[in-house]
Amino acid sequence: MGVATRHLNRAILSGTEHPPQVALLRAAQPIADPSPRWDTGPVRVLLDQAMARYATDRAAADAWLAPRLHATLRLTRGEAADKGLWAYLALVVAPDYVLWRHIPTGTDESRRAAVVQAARFAGANSVQAFARLWWAAEMFRDGADYRPVEVACSNQDVLNTALRLDIMEHRPTAMAVLRVLQQLTAGGAPRPGDQVNSLCRAIGIAGSTLMYETLGPDQLPDERELLLWIDEADSAPPAPWERLPDGPDDGEVPAASVAALTRLFENINEHLGQLRDRRGVATGV
Amino acid sequence: MESGEEFGPWLGRQLRRRNMTQAELAAEVKVTRAAVSAWITGRAQPRPETVRQIAEALSTDLGTVYARTTDAVPAHAVQWYHRPAHSDGGREFGNAAAFAFEADLRVLAREATQNSLDERHDPTQPVRVRYTLHELTGEHRRAFLQAMQWESLKSHYAAAAASDQKVGRALVEGLRELEDSETLLLLRVDDYNANGLTGPEYDDGRFAAVVRRQLDSHKVDNRRAGGSYGLGKATLWATSRLGLVLINSTLSVPHEGRTERRLIGRLDLPWREVDGEAYAGPAWLGEPDAARGYEGVSRSWWGIQEETTALHLERESDDPGTSFLVVAVHDAAAVAAGDDGLHAMHEKLVDSLADDFWAAMTDTASVPPLLKASVRTLRNGTELIPETPVSPDQRKPALARALRAYLAGETVDVLGVRTDVALRTVTLNVPPLRAEGKAVGNTAHEAVLLVTPADDQDRTHSEIVCMRGNRMKITTQRPRDLGFGVEPFQAVLLAGFATARDGEDVSRAEAFLRASEPPEHNRWEWTEELSVAYARGAKRRLDEFRASTADALRAVVGNRAVPSAGIATELLRERLRFTQSPVAGRQGTRRSRGYPVVDDVDGEVDSTGAWVLRVRVAVPPSEDAWRLSPVPRLGGGRTGAGAAVRWADLTVTENCSFDGDVLVIAPGVRYAAFTGITDPDTHPVDTGMANIGVDVHKAEEGAKRA
Amino acid sequence: MNRTIYPYPVLRGRTDVEVTRVRLDGVELEFAGIGISQRTVALAVAGRDEWQEAAIEIRAELPETEIADGPWSELVCVAVLEEAATNVRTVHRLTKDRGSGTWQGTVRMARSRHHSRAGLRVQVVATVGGIPGRRIGGSESDWVLDLHAKAPQREQESPAVVEVDFRDGPHSWLRPMKDAPWFVDTAGGDMPVVYLNQAVEGLTTLLSGKGGPAAKATAALAGAKIESDVWEAMFHAAVGDVEADEEGRPRMPTGWRESVLQTMLPDVLPGLSPSDAIVEFSARREEGYGWAELQSRVQYAAALRAQLPKQLANAMRATVRPEGEDR
Repeated sequence: MGVATRHLNRAILSGTEHPPQVALLRAAQPIADPSPRWDTGPVRVLLDQAMARYATDRAAADAWLAPRLHATLRLTRGEAADKGLWAYLALVVAPDYVLWRHIPTGTDESRRAAVVQAARFAGANSVQAFARLWWAAEMFRDGADYRPVEVACSNQDVLNTALRLDIMEHRPTAMAVLRVLQQLTAGGAPRPGDQVNSLCRAIGIAGSTLMYETLGPDQLPDERELLLWIDEADSAPPAPWERLPDGPDDGEVPAASVAALTRLFENINEHLGQLRDRRGVATGV
Repeated sequence: MESGEEFGPWLGRQLRRRNMTQAELAAEVKVTRAAVSAWITGRAQPRPETVRQIAEALSTDLGTVYARTTDAVPAHAVQWYHRPAHSDGGREFGNAAAFAFEADLRVLAREATQNSLDERHDPTQPVRVRYTLHELTGEHRRAFLQAMQWESLKSHYAAAAASDQKVGRALVEGLRELEDSETLLLLRVDDYNANGLTGPEYDDGRFAAVVRRQLDSHKVDNRRAGGSYGLGKATLWATSRLGLVLINSTLSVPHEGRTERRLIGRLDLPWREVDGEAYAGPAWLGEPDAARGYEGVSRSWWGIQEETTALHLERESDDPGTSFLVVAVHDAAAVAAGDDGLHAMHEKLVDSLADDFWAAMTDTASVPPLLKASVRTLRNGTELIPETPVSPDQRKPALARALRAYLAGETVDVLGVRTDVALRTVTLNVPPLRAEGKAVGNTAHEAVLLVTPADDQDRTHSEIVCMRGNRMKITTQRPRDLGFGVEPFQAVLLAGFATARDGEDVSRAEAFLRASEPPEHNRWEWTEELSVAYARGAKRRLDEFRASTADALRAVVGNRAVPSAGIATELLRERLRFTQSPVAGRQGTRRSRGYPVVDDVDGEVDSTGAWVLRVRVAVPPSEDAWRLSPVPRLGGGRTGAGAAVRWADLTVTENCSFDGDVLVIAPGVRYAAFTGITDPDTHPVDTGMANIGVDVHKAEEGAKRA
Repeated sequence: MNRTIYPYPVLRGRTDVEVTRVRLDGVELEFAGIGISQRTVALAVAGRDEWQEAAIEIRAELPETEIADGPWSELVCVAVLEEAATNVRTVHRLTKDRGSGTWQGTVRMARSRHHSRAGLRVQVVATVGGIPGRRIGGSESDWVLDLHAKAPQREQESPAVVEVDFRDGPHSWLRPMKDAPWFVDTAGGDMPVVYLNQAVEGLTTLLSGKGGPAAKATAALAGAKIESDVWEAMFHAAVGDVEADEEGRPRMPTGWRESVLQTMLPDVLPGLSPSDAIVEFSARREEGYGWAELQSRVQYAAALRAQLPKQLANAMRATVRPEGEDR
């Protein structure tokens, strides 16, 4: 990680130079575990496929890539918290993908000066190019079911903010927020992403008096199932491209909890709607 | 001759009371003096016809002599006997000990209870001590003073008080208190299942040790085995404003054939002259003696229930033991009077007992304690504060837990939970006595070290309390080098009899450690006795013992040493340690705030859903006016920064003005207060769903009410 | 700092929480690992690293008399285990023990879901005025469960100090600085690392301070200088990591960064609260005004923090020759 940032300079961030592979490899700490799950080959294949599929809509690659990256890089949360791992991926395995996905597009004028935020290579888990996808998948999956991950990752507003919000650490809350998002999208609401972000902030504020964990309790994940799934990385076939892979079957989010919180969040959202109506403008709060 | 009292002691007392010598009785009943002496000492019994003659000589009937449940000769009235001054005219300024001690109930409780513990009679049962504070007023007070013949003492106290010695001044104070206040406070110290004051009137024995010996003999070794009532007893007299203590003892071994209600009173006064006679030192309340050499001296008498009741000395059972009644008790540290004062003294006694005797009071389901203690307070015979049993857990819960776990065999090897008690044995190599010669080697005694995490309420901790004997604390040891950040712990080292084991090694260790104690019994160190009695190297054995104890402790609680890097690295690392770590929810203290803060917020939600907030802002004094933006913030805290909302109205309360939404505080002002009402249309959630706080920031220019 | 009030009655009395026992995969953690005064559990106390689950028994004391007389119903007390690095927050219900009146329970901590230090606290929740799930109280300070600590120490990890040969050592990137006596690296992971250059002969001996008072004072002075560099580097690293919150205001970072900023900002920008100072600092960095002056203030604050003035005075006193001040 430290070594990673030391090698980040403007030339690399703008894509005019490649990161110094040899120096980085020398400096990288080898992982002692011989398991094939540390083999970066499958990840590379996945990234090439994503770039091919979403050449015209790069942001849309996130919803496709997040579940598949998660199912390919089978990690515990403890392992995934290591920022060095993600920096290695970004600088050594796939700097081209980071540039492809995050270099600002637009006029030729702005492109010439464009650079990728350094944090997309090495930075917080909510920003780093791969960490944000892996963590989004981890936090929005419903046990083995990655469908909610697709929902969360298809809205950049949600994806960019959600990982920074403490409320999302509670799965029933996260699921309930996605429900509201789906309803808004289905109902043709204008700028549903903005609305959901306002809602998330309001949920956080109401969280100063309400404890969602007791209003909509979750159950502890089944640790053994998770570890088993991670161990299966050795023998698992590569993640499918056309349909969603299966995640670790470590327990579904209790439906009753999601329902209870969805009702609560609908009420909060209704209040926001009334505020918007009353003031005739989007509050942006 | 099977009946009440044994014949010998009974006859001896009748002669004393008649002022009749053994020789005179011998002449009357026509036997030799030696024969009379043999009766009195119990070596022989008189023949029936002689008994009849004895009855005649004593001017009584035959039945009285055979029954011996009453006296044939009426007693000489119990009275105070004051010891005359030495004929050489030397003036003893009273008993220094009685008045030199600071009157302190804590010291009294410690010394008296330790004496009781040392005097435990049946070793399978606890000795029971009870402290009774008893306040007398009105008729109760008058009746008691009369029973103890206060009138006859007045002149002596007045004379003694006239001395300008420190003692005299103390007495003046005590007398004035007695005269002025309508109350008299008694403290009774009872023990049961103790030996009682056995032994003869004047010669060696427990009775004489307490009643006859000088109180202030510093050479007396207090705390020796067998309990000799040493220096400690003086604390009884010291806590009496009058230097006056009455005693009732039930003996474990009969004296004069009797055990119950051996009564005596003793007071200690300085040199005084009353009615032209000079007196020095003590006076005793008792029966005038007729024995040669002691004529007129008041001796203990066998009382009857009416007497013990009147003197507040009646004991609750015939269990052996002693009751001391401290008359006009006081405590130098006491500040409160009346009921508060009584409550304070009651509490002090309870606390003191709990502090000093937690170990002796600790028991388990199957192991009885060595000691049970309680305190109660009465006023005129009725209960003011109910009897409070003293619990070992009251003051030293963790230590009591450690000992209890040991006695119950519930110790562990490694501390797991907070209530666990770890046990380690520590070897004390007891050297042989010099007298045993070279053939005898060291005896290994396995002392017991108990360690447990300290309790939150513990005021002292992280030291080893070292005990021997009847779980008597000798010293505390504070080992060093336990490592950084060791959790507070409690530890007890039990050696000798305190291990509750028996055997050769135990008694040898007990004797060895006792020999290594100075007269105060507060250290284990080199002593004269140690070097005289034990083979060479005794001191080294003590040092080894202390070091092994520290090692054993370290093995339980010590933090493992961090593998050491270079010394420069270590030093630097030490310097770079964060000394302050902000814990969520609590801010580290800064030396002083150099910036404005909101230091109080209060408020409520009004009917429109707006927050009405009363806010006080503290600012450092400044030469310029402060321009601040107070920002109400909904839902701040753990979940995030919350949301800033807007004010609908701002009103000055104190020391400030508003320029739009900008709070302006004049130079030199330290506090400002205002009331703000929030605009509910800016609340992102229903007002009832979020908490609220107020921040202040430096105003950004151009911030006006929107 | 800022007082917070609630639109419904909350507990005034204290809620305390304590870890009473810890088992790692069923094997009891020795008590030395539970630092009650430090409110810290060292989970690596026995050097055991292979465990998968820690069962942490806790006990909470609530202001029961206040609760009994208060307007709260359906009161529950939960333990909250959280670690931001792994986005974990799990909640465990405690049950009230009839005998002691305390709330007790076991928090199950899966090792795989944690990275370094987890926080543990309790939260009291009840129905108030017909609204369920209201927060009405909680413990004031967290317990820290440290996965890597061998002894329970509350302190944040300190900057690491590494003795290494800059010229011929394993770190090639230090080679260009082969003549520097030390280098403070903040580009690394979470904590700055101080590299001491073994290639500079006599440096470690000097720093060890062996010898007379003069040697000690010199060592202390050199140490203070290094420390001052470290504080300065940490300050910049901490300020560099400041992120904006939802309203665009810089947000106070957490952990050691917060410590550094809280202690140094009042000396860097006097008169401003730390949060205002961050705003000001960020503004100056972006817009450039007063930036040079600010650098001097940072150096000054770092020197104060490192006690440089004191060590300098001591060193001068220890080395001054008795016969004269000047020559």
